[in-house]
Amino acid sequence: MKGKKGPLLFFIAPFGLLFAAFYLAPIGYAIKQSLYKIERQGTFGKAQEVFGGLEQYTRVFSDGPFWESIGRVLLFGIVQVPVMLGVALALALLLDSGLVKGKAFFRLAFFVPYAVPGVVAAIMWGFLYSPNLSPFTALTGNVDLLSADFVLWSMANVVTWIYVGYNMLIIYSSLLAIPQEVYEAARMDGAGALRTAWAIKIPLVMPAIVLTTVFSIIGTLQLLAEPAVFRTFSSAVTSTYTPNLTVYSTSSIPNFNLAAAFSVVLALATCLLSFGFLKLTQRGADK
Amino acid sequence: MRPPMRSLSILLTSALAVTLAACSSGSDDSTDEATGGAASCAPASGNVELTYTTWIPGIEDVVKLWNDKNPNIQVKVQTGPNGNGGTYANFFNQLKAGNAPDLGHIEYDALPSFRVQDGLTNLASCSEVTAAKDQFVDWTWGQVTFGEENSVYGIPQDTGPMALFYRKDLFEKNNIPVPTTWEEYAAAAEKVKTAGGYITNFSQSDISQFAGLSWQAGGRWFSNDGSKWTVNFQDDNTKKVADYWQDLISKKLVSSVPPWTTEWDNAYNKGNAWTWVSAVWGANSIMSGAPDTSGKWAVAPMPQWTAGGTSAGNWGGSSTAVFKSSKHPYEAAKFALWLNTSEEALTALNKAAQLYPATKAGATLPALTEGVEFYGGQKIYEVFATASTQVAADFAWGPTMTDTYASASDGFKAVVSGTGTLNDALKTAQEKTVATLKSQSIPVAE
Amino acid sequence: MKNVNRIGPMVVMAAATLYFLVPIWWLLVAASKSRAQFNNTTPLWFADFSLGDNLSELFAYRDGVFLRWMLNSVLYTGGAALIGTVLAAMCGYALAKYRFPGREAIFNIVLSGVLVPATALALPLFLIFSQFEATNTFWSVFLPSLVNPFGVYLARIYATASVPDELLEASRLDGSGEVRTFFTISAKLMFPALVTIFLFHFVAVWNNFLLPLIMLGNERLFPVTLGLYSWNTQVNQIPELRMFVLTGALVSIVPLVIAFLFLQRFWRNGLGSGAIK
Repeated sequence: MKGKKGPLLFFIAPFGLLFAAFYLAPIGYAIKQSLYKIERQGTFGKAQEVFGGLEQYTRVFSDGPFWESIGRVLLFGIVQVPVMLGVALALALLLDSGLVKGKAFFRLAFFVPYAVPGVVAAIMWGFLYSPNLSPFTALTGNVDLLSADFVLWSMANVVTWIYVGYNMLIIYSSLLAIPQEVYEAARMDGAGALRTAWAIKIPLVMPAIVLTTVFSIIGTLQLLAEPAVFRTFSSAVTSTYTPNLTVYSTSSIPNFNLAAAFSVVLALATCLLSFGFLKLTQRGADK
Repeated sequence: MRPPMRSLSILLTSALAVTLAACSSGSDDSTDEATGGAASCAPASGNVELTYTTWIPGIEDVVKLWNDKNPNIQVKVQTGPNGNGGTYANFFNQLKAGNAPDLGHIEYDALPSFRVQDGLTNLASCSEVTAAKDQFVDWTWGQVTFGEENSVYGIPQDTGPMALFYRKDLFEKNNIPVPTTWEEYAAAAEKVKTAGGYITNFSQSDISQFAGLSWQAGGRWFSNDGSKWTVNFQDDNTKKVADYWQDLISKKLVSSVPPWTTEWDNAYNKGNAWTWVSAVWGANSIMSGAPDTSGKWAVAPMPQWTAGGTSAGNWGGSSTAVFKSSKHPYEAAKFALWLNTSEEALTALNKAAQLYPATKAGATLPALTEGVEFYGGQKIYEVFATASTQVAADFAWGPTMTDTYASASDGFKAVVSGTGTLNDALKTAQEKTVATLKSQSIPVAE
Repeated sequence: MKNVNRIGPMVVMAAATLYFLVPIWWLLVAASKSRAQFNNTTPLWFADFSLGDNLSELFAYRDGVFLRWMLNSVLYTGGAALIGTVLAAMCGYALAKYRFPGREAIFNIVLSGVLVPATALALPLFLIFSQFEATNTFWSVFLPSLVNPFGVYLARIYATASVPDELLEASRLDGSGEVRTFFTISAKLMFPALVTIFLFHFVAVWNNFLLPLIMLGNERLFPVTLGLYSWNTQVNQIPELRMFVLTGALVSIVPLVIAFLFLQRFWRNGLGSGAIK
């Protein structure tokens, strides 16, 4: 191992330094902020930041709308993530089945929505959902897709639209990586296309599915752009509709300390859920 | 293997320490002056460059007029999203970091928030500023002084006196008299409904309209006696307005398309909504949002709560404020005064962004005394000029309006979706506002 | 028999294609209409084709600020993704190919960076940059965009899988330095993965608008997402902006679609690498 310290430093330090400066330092700062509170005298009195211990966290834990918003994105995730990944998996299997012509075209067509920034996609779908201007007024004129009952799922559709292609590609690429010999063996056993997909392909791409699930969970908990845009044209989207929107609204009050506490709790919740999911799937795999 | 790791970790931790130390200092010491006292207001000796952040479209051309004539005081403009769309949040961040621009565009309802954050320069010691007081419409001065002596926290820029836009052709065709009182307005709403339209669209998510309606009715939402704030969205006058609109909503006499959407434009363009109680700048919104209805609109004074009454509400309007971190309050104030009182600037602002001036003389700008073709040639701005003089001067905003609006709007949206009443929503908004003030340690009466 | 089997899958593919492309088609059609026709003509087919007018109006508006935004976006994203990919690759490679104490700890810390909400980072970053009086500069958006923890994760996994230790040993025996080996041998083996990392990084930065929103006051430094967002907030004051937002949205996705087309050869093979364990 001689003579490798230099190179090792060379490889790690550039990223490490930037990561420390632009990830660790801000996180450290946010944690520090969350432990402080504001004190002031009189109606327009001068504000002072003093140590408040866990006071902001007490607020976070007793903040009804915040936990409602967590519940909302969880519900969103429980429904949207499986649907999105199910569709992605199905499309990937079809592409890989050899039954489809023009693979290159479909692959690109499905991936194009991923190029549309979240803000732009939300603005666009806003028009498509509109009761009067939508191309699908037969539907949108009768069912208000932006009402309280539907808007969460309308948003889920936007997210699905953007990310199905992306997830499909991840799964599809890992299908491509399956060695041909595995298929040969299956064919020898007389397995049909469906059975091959079910018994061989899906188990082999499971790691890819787990990975995309984790990233989808993270993405769901951090929804911001879509609800922020939907707020402008849906009466059902409140300023605390998703946890990230709550953080942004709180810091615009401005209540920096409380906003910091919200985001620390949110990061921890994200961590808990995604690692929890990983552990769960690993235990399943061990059996 | 050990040494490199150690040096790497030292490097990492020291980078961390440096950045942490850097961001923890400086955030608290930007405001060393005692609050309340007016800042000194002396001209600088050399050349001065000022920064000014706003979202007024076309502001560059207006500022160029100033820069061409004032080589010693050059103003650099920065633009961005509108206040609640991000610029206010940026101002707060910049104040915390100590790098706010010299001047900022702040709507009246946001001024108290900035004052509570100790972000504004009191311009009362600038004699030019105090001398300009009489040039402004009385109530606008109340908005920037918070009704206190020896304090001026911004220069009024534009206003939004309210009146009634209505579809003259449809009202005439259906023999509906133009309402002068709210009672008549409700009666007209029934007839409009029979004729297949809605009298108006209730603004569910832009609470400022409701604030303007309450302002007219005599509602007073916030007050402060110097030691603590009082929050009251439950006074009789506000309740009266809430009950009135609740009734119209319950009877389905008004539509509730979210404002500022194509959907909303469409409702007016297609003749689904027949009136709009809105501010002077609404004239342009209708013109551009409902181009097919040209020539069919007219403007009448706002309906009154008592027959023969003469009070109007205000919706919107903004000021040019000087941030506390500015090193050149004198020059900044001078520019802000020019921007908001000189005829050339007001004319240019009106041309670029339809701003309706806050000065008394502003009402006589040529562009504001002509007939407007879209409104059948009516001299609509005269109606607003009168309304502007009828706006009560003692309406005050709270120190966390972004949050108050958000809470009220959350409640109003629920009402429109069929849950609760406007009054419930206001009650909740009041409770939430009090809670927010407390979480900010701003003294508030229960 | 074979033909019958194909119909079902092709129908599904066609339906999916409609789902993915109709909104884009709608955007193209909408961007080709004048304001009046946008409200009054059928949404999924062209009226008078005025895309050219809309484009030239968009590009001329406020001294061509939109083109400036596009250029900025390309600089922010292209530059950050390029350098960021190299940095992530080096770090991931080192984590994969060298054994040293604290390796797993570093890897876990970096990986948990993926979990931190953007809203939590943006404000502290602003305050940090304020200390160096560097807010409202190109660098205030560019530098933080360089960091891509997910890229490190992918690079590590791919380096483990595609760069054999024997090859490294062999090049060591040949007397090649570690750094040189990385750039001449390992990076080539990792190339498909690097393209993937680049693409993901590119899209992430391209989409990001919260950081620029907080950092930048000068409109001429905006990336295109923030510019469009900012116009969208002003639609109630100047309704003309709505058509600019739509046309601009269409233009803003063109560079990425082109990038996808050109890089397709690479990413379609490299994309699965992150998932293979």
